[in-house]
Amino acid sequence: MYTGPAGSAALLQQIHDYNVHIDSNDVFWMIRVADAAVKVDFDQARTRLRVSNLSVFDDHDIANSVTQGLGLPGDLGFPYPTIAPVAPVRATVSFDVEWSGVVDMAPIHNSTQGFKGSFLSTGATIKWSAEQPGFRFESETPDPSRNLISVLGREQNGVFFAQM
Amino acid sequence: MNEHHSIFQKKFEQRRVSRRNLICGVAGSVVGASLLRPRSVFGDGDEDRSETTGCNLANPIPGGVVPFKPFGVPVHHNPLNPVNRLAVAGISDPSQITDFDGFVGLTHIRGGGTGTNTDTGATTPLAFQADMGFGKGNFIGADGRQHEAAFAFV
Repeated sequence: MYTGPAGSAALLQQIHDYNVHIDSNDVFWMIRVADAAVKVDFDQARTRLRVSNLSVFDDHDIANSVTQGLGLPGDLGFPYPTIAPVAPVRATVSFDVEWSGVVDMAPIHNSTQGFKGSFLSTGATIKWSAEQPGFRFESETPDPSRNLISVLGREQNGVFFAQM
Repeated sequence: MNEHHSIFQKKFEQRRVSRRNLICGVAGSVVGASLLRPRSVFGDGDEDRSETTGCNLANPIPGGVVPFKPFGVPVHHNPLNPVNRLAVAGISDPSQITDFDGFVGLTHIRGGGTGTNTDTGATTPLAFQADMGFGKGNFIGADGRQHEAAFAFV
């Protein structure tokens, strides 16, 4: 979340970064949800992801998120600004994400990365909210024009890539 | 400059080791956990999460990116690039989980909304970026067994 105008995402204007943290096995920002939370109709290029009151962390900004609260030192010869260390705080988020409408489609067989399948570039919208002590956020009415890129796939990777 | 960098890196490595190995005892033990308890501001909350989701259930994809290299942790995720909106054949693996057979989805959406100071009631327009998604299907977990589950990417 950023203090700039809608559609912007400048690091130095970021004031909230909600995520579930990398888990103990290094899986990035994934958390199990109820099966019913994800409704996929891949043949119709439609999917809906709905979750309410999910416990997350607010890391303040993406730099603190991926440095685990250390921020960025700045001025060390790297092209990053100084970002002060910030400790995460607890928050809850609710979201309703919808993928629909085919923009592009392709089969992929990528032996370098070890994945294959059928993939769609689609339209997408999101309605979401966040809440934590002293602060609440409510996103605008879902707007298809806000989508920069969204993807759906039916894929196999790892051992399943090798099997078939 | 180098000393500052070195101290930063040392602190960073301490946190990486503690996060990866101690929470569920993958490579360590309870004794190790007590000795190397991280100074990470991330540690305690993650323990709560591990207890509720099961340790090491899924494995990460092997690749990914390192944001803010060399300061960020390796991230087993391939962010979408808007240049692939009309050329989806060029995307990298959108799944965060390996040994996976199922449906995946990712979004890269920017928009706006309203933030409210719940103490004062003051409101302000804010921008957001939502890099979110899901995975739903079968996967081989760290226990070597096949599982079926749905995940949100948040």
